[in-house]
Amino acid sequence: MKPRIAFFDFACCEGCQLQVANLGEALLDVLKLVDVVEFREVMSEKWAGPLDIAVVEGSITTKEAVERIEKIRARSRILIAYGSCATIGGVNGMKNRSPLEEIRRTVYGEHAHTFPTIATRPVDQVVKVDYYVHGCPIWPPEFIEVLQAALQGVPCFPPDHAVCVECKLNENVCLYDKGVTCLGPVTRAGCNSWCTNNGNICYGCRGLVSNPNTKGAMDVLARYRIPLELVLNKMSMYNACREQGKTP
Amino acid sequence: MRYVTIPADKMADYITALARRQKVVAPVEKGKGQFAFEPISEGREATLTYIPTILPPKKFFMPQYETLLEYDLHEGQKMQAVVELEEMVLFGVHTCDLAGIACLNTVFSDRPKDLNYLIRKNKIVIIGLECVAYCDEYASCALMNNHLPNGGYDLFLTPLGDRYIGHVNTYIGDSLVEEGGFFRDATGADFAALEEVRRRKREVFHDEVPIDLDEIPRIFAHSLRTTIWKEIGDRCLSCGNCTNVCPTCYCFDIVDKPNLDLKSGRRIRVWDSCQNERFAKIAGGESFRKERSSRKRHRFFRKFRYPVDRFGKFFCTGCGRCSRTCMARINLKETLAQLAREYV
Ligand code: SF4
Ligand code: SF4
Ligand code: SF4
Ligand code: SF4
Ligand code: SF4
Repeated sequence: MKPRIAFFDFACCEGCQLQVANLGEALLDVLKLVDVVEFREVMSEKWAGPLDIAVVEGSITTKEAVERIEKIRARSRILIAYGSCATIGGVNGMKNRSPLEEIRRTVYGEHAHTFPTIATRPVDQVVKVDYYVHGCPIWPPEFIEVLQAALQGVPCFPPDHAVCVECKLNENVCLYDKGVTCLGPVTRAGCNSWCTNNGNICYGCRGLVSNPNTKGAMDVLARYRIPLELVLNKMSMYNACREQGKTP
Repeated sequence: MRYVTIPADKMADYITALARRQKVVAPVEKGKGQFAFEPISEGREATLTYIPTILPPKKFFMPQYETLLEYDLHEGQKMQAVVELEEMVLFGVHTCDLAGIACLNTVFSDRPKDLNYLIRKNKIVIIGLECVAYCDEYASCALMNNHLPNGGYDLFLTPLGDRYIGHVNTYIGDSLVEEGGFFRDATGADFAALEEVRRRKREVFHDEVPIDLDEIPRIFAHSLRTTIWKEIGDRCLSCGNCTNVCPTCYCFDIVDKPNLDLKSGRRIRVWDSCQNERFAKIAGGESFRKERSSRKRHRFFRKFRYPVDRFGKFFCTGCGRCSRTCMARINLKETLAQLAREYV
């Protein structure tokens, strides 16, 4: 019997799940390896039984979500946090930068009381996570790599060096040479410098490396006459949940 | 010893003629004053006045990602060593980069010999190109004695204004200058012009850092505990650029890349760097160089001290790439000058 795999989404845009559908030809090979029993984006079937692999997208932002993820964890042999919302809290983490009540009123206005909410947490701050696929959206080849490792039962650690490493290996002209700032030096690699290959800045979607030189990075960014507040905003766009816990 | 010349306005045609017969890689403009060695099919795609390319020619000798082995576990355990070689002519290599290739040759010829490297290297034909002026303010090639040709090429070209003079260094170099009848043998006037270029060069190329090369071993013998490492470590972002662009940094990691059948796959080597967080991490999570200051020190010691003890040569070519690429503006010439000041 092929391993049973299911996809679940919490607070997110579901764009990372869409990336699976975008795998193209590789998807057919992936489907030979696993039996997809639940995947809302592409099929209507549901599965309530035990799972070999749960792929979880999105952050945990409500009490119901906590209960739901705990149940998913309980019936899954392996849990993969999938996409930055799940691995590091992602953009949802911005919520944590203001008091909950205030945020609730800003978003839901007079109906605020009907939308109970809790601080945003990445999945591993609620249940145990076995594998991580960072990114907003995830980089499909990395997902395949993680899936292969999960199926083989071997560990798979995302890189803990800067996006610059992959960017240099791809021999891109550095954005700093173009007079533009880039979060590559403090952002965890693993996307094959997807954005900078295409002339964009790295906006840090995979989260900070485990030991970033924040002070040094601010000095570098400050040289480009960007207001400090903007620098902090840039760095915390994806990383606001970071203070609450550590992610490998 | 054979010298030849070629008119400057025939150079593009000559490169085109070479590219008709084999793969030619040459410096190509990438915008924002940056260059890269890339395959070309026409001579006019190449730029013969260029500052050191983003990545040095090492990317052809030890590619960023290189397959070393293919495995297949469908029936038993089959493994096949692989050498991904590529015949090519590397056109327009500056003397600093020739020195970089010489360093890599030294390392990979040391025991245990690296067969992948040595086989690849034998398939690469090298045409050198002399700088008659500094590339930019980051260069320290004269300090490192790499501003003049010192072997390591098949043919070496020096611009003499309206023509290039070429030094033919190997049999392959001989066949290179036979191509298409572009070259003729050099005469007395050509040698005089070459002598004049070198004389002028000696006037310009010197003292990029106010120290002597002979002093460097002594300076580094005393710089283990200086606060300079902490100072630059505090600024360093550990982006790894300085090592990836360095023509003499050769550290790599080995990784298995399974195919989707999970039974077969490739074992590859990929560039690694002492600036990366996990480089010196071992089982249990301990890291030998946790502090950025110790990583920065390691990089400098890996250029100016350890290889001197081991191979009797410096592993800095003076190309300036590390300083050029550093967004934190950690500058090799400044650091050397600082170390020297502290020691004196
Ligand atoms: S463009 Fe960005 S990611 Fe690439 S080397 Fe420069 S800073 Fe690093
Ligand atoms: S380059 Fe940066 S922003 Fe783009 S995918 Fe990679 S980590 Fe995300
Ligand atoms: S290029 Fe500069 S910031 Fe990056 S690792 Fe090297 S010294 Fe540090
Ligand atoms: S240390 Fe810097 S200047 Fe020296 S060879 Fe390496 S990149 Fe070039
Ligand atoms: S460092 Fe020296 S040899 Fe190298 S490109 Fe610059 S001037 Fe030429």
